[in-house]
Amino acid sequence: MGIDFTLSDRQRTLRDLVRTFAASIVRPISLQADRDKQVPEDLLLKIQMMGASMASMGGVRAELGGDDGGEAPTDKKPKSTNRTVMIAAEEMGWGDASVLLSLPGPGLGGPPVRSHGTAEQKKRFFSIFDDPTQLRWGSYGLTEPGAGSDVAAIQTTCRRDGDSWVLNGTKCYITNGARASWVVIFATVDPSLGRAGHRAFVVEQGTPGFSVGKIEDKLGLRASQTVELVLEDCRVPADNLLGGDERYAERAKAGFMAAMQTFDSTRPMVGIIAVGIGRAAYEHARDFVRDRYILTRPVPRYRVIADRLAQMKRRLDAARLLCWRAAWMADLGIPNSREASMAKAAGAQAAVSACTEAIDIVGAHGLFEDGEHALLCKWFRDIKVFDIFEGTGQIQRIVISKRLFEGLRGF
Amino acid sequence: MISFGLDEEQQLIQDNVRKFAEERLWPRIRETEAARELPAALVEEAHGLGLRTLSVPEQAGGQGLGLVTACLVEEQLAWGDASACYALGGAGALVSLVVELGDAGQHLDVLSRFTADDGAGRRGALAFGESSPAAAAGMRTTAEETGMGWLIEGDKAFVVNGGVADRYVVVAQVDPSRGWDGLGAFVVPGDARGVSPGSRRRSLGLDAAHIADVSFDGVRVPETARLAGGDDFGGALLRGLARHSLLTAARCVGVAQRAFELTRDYCAERTAFGKPIGHFQAVAFDVADRLIDVEGARWMVWKAAADWDTSSAPRLGDVASACAHASEAALRCGDTAVQLHGGAGFVRDFAVEKLFRDARQLSLMATSAEALGQIVAEEELGRPHDLAALLPTTDIQPVCL
Repeated sequence: MGIDFTLSDRQRTLRDLVRTFAASIVRPISLQADRDKQVPEDLLLKIQMMGASMASMGGVRAELGGDDGGEAPTDKKPKSTNRTVMIAAEEMGWGDASVLLSLPGPGLGGPPVRSHGTAEQKKRFFSIFDDPTQLRWGSYGLTEPGAGSDVAAIQTTCRRDGDSWVLNGTKCYITNGARASWVVIFATVDPSLGRAGHRAFVVEQGTPGFSVGKIEDKLGLRASQTVELVLEDCRVPADNLLGGDERYAERAKAGFMAAMQTFDSTRPMVGIIAVGIGRAAYEHARDFVRDRYILTRPVPRYRVIADRLAQMKRRLDAARLLCWRAAWMADLGIPNSREASMAKAAGAQAAVSACTEAIDIVGAHGLFEDGEHALLCKWFRDIKVFDIFEGTGQIQRIVISKRLFEGLRGF
Repeated sequence: MISFGLDEEQQLIQDNVRKFAEERLWPRIRETEAARELPAALVEEAHGLGLRTLSVPEQAGGQGLGLVTACLVEEQLAWGDASACYALGGAGALVSLVVELGDAGQHLDVLSRFTADDGAGRRGALAFGESSPAAAAGMRTTAEETGMGWLIEGDKAFVVNGGVADRYVVVAQVDPSRGWDGLGAFVVPGDARGVSPGSRRRSLGLDAAHIADVSFDGVRVPETARLAGGDDFGGALLRGLARHSLLTAARCVGVAQRAFELTRDYCAERTAFGKPIGHFQAVAFDVADRLIDVEGARWMVWKAAADWDTSSAPRLGDVASACAHASEAALRCGDTAVQLHGGAGFVRDFAVEKLFRDARQLSLMATSAEALGQIVAEEELGRPHDLAALLPTTDIQPVCL
């Protein structure tokens, strides 16, 4: 194949399309959606219809874990979905990450169902997304008030009772949790078993005992829905145990694996969305300098700003390539946990610092939610969580470290 | 389609150079450092493998391979020993300048001296920097048309291969009234009358590189010695320097990679408080961050090289970004290596103090960080490149070339 950084024709077309869409449709509603704390449903429907019509070229929906919308893998050609997703996700992140996270589709719930679900489960849970005229979401419930980074410490319990399982516990910070048709919920048969006790269930909206708790008010990504989910003696059919009983008989830690493997494909995506936001902030600062600075002023004063812009740009460029690399590995079926974490860590870090620097460069203008730099202000609020969700920056470094030093214990 | 995989030819070349670096260069780094040169047999071997002439055009006897391949080679050599990238000989920065500024005839005349079977011992040099700035914009070294060619007069500083070069490219002021836009470049034989090198200088790192000041006192060269650079000399000069910078950036990646590997291995073996120090998060996270630095830099270099190979008008800004990132990666990896080795990092029983010095010096071997930032910013702000701000001159941060 050889070292290559050119996009395929289809990827270029997709990039241009999403970029145009992000600039002309998403950006104009971005601030209002942030204030309203929701993305207009007609916009989501429009995106979904558009995605359906271009499903053949790698639909936008695929990037949130939907079914493979990229070029179909053949014996000769490895699949390219993960790489294609990088291209589209960066542009959507550049447009508005809240809109991207609000897109209908299986969301983070997609990967565990796809990789661990039975054929019957995949059909049942994915078929609800077939009709492009309906807005449907899937979701992923792992985090709990007492278990964030320490996933093994989840306290939500599950108990087998005849043909069903009974779940009890609380999940928090769940994206699209209140409107999801189903949520992949991770629970434990016995907290003392640690990872081996984990089970993954698909819990459907309307199941008795399954309710939405608090809807969070946040620093950023305000238009994205983040909620608490409560399970009180929630009875889930045994058929909804992800992968079925056999899977857990074969592999004790199948539940934990389902939770973790999700991240190998989603972390590079989170990294590239962050790069998209960082690029937006960078371009904003760059244009501000171009339009407002008197470039004929004595060189020494201008150099400092030039260096800062150059540094912002190259850190984002490097992070983008780290994301592409992790995605390339995923497409080729090469294990990429380490690289996925590197991509996510680098993307978040480069973008957080780009947003911070950008505010610094435009000065006080960048502090006001009602001025011409309101978007920059919003991006600064939005970006922080990219170094927190899907594994904090510290967790990424633990993942990387575990692959550098063997036998880490109590790390 | 985006791919981080090497093709068969690239893989073969990388494997061979890696083997050479691991078996022939790395085991003798301290010997090389003390001798400040490599044994002639090793130089001959590298020449036989074509390692120093990969990107020389085929018509001049090179392999005509692209910058991607050249970068793969430089990274591996530097992983073995960064100073070998200089001590293995070859035409050095001169290749990049002649390729970008010369015409086909000049490529053949100048570069074939280095690709010839007996070219192993020949070195090339770029005489660019000066030790003190001129009164007005431009260089102190001048080239004057005599009717029978050119008369070159001036002193150059920090010349890599100065004093041992078979051929120099000398950059001089042709038209003093035009400041930085009035430069010209000339090929000067090392044994021309009036070429007088100073003594070899002791450097912080890259001990085996041969660096000296060189004086050109009334040196006469024929009309054909001028490298015209096509219609746009300034642009071609920047491209030549950028090309050389990118190869230097690949060396930074090699040093960074080696420093990262030694650090990881040391942290896995060295125990404190009853466990390997790599099992402490404060240590492990630093090592993890250096891996992100190395790989990010490598992909930046690859991408800039690949874009250069496939584009008729390479974006200098992307090259500059890659160079800045690679330089930063090498500096950080070198620093972390010394820091995490603790006292062992400070003594010469361990290799990391050398890597630390090499990394520091490498970042001033082609283009200054200052100029790299300017190149990116100018391109991003839509401003024309300003030679005064970009050339590695004496005004600000001179470099070794």
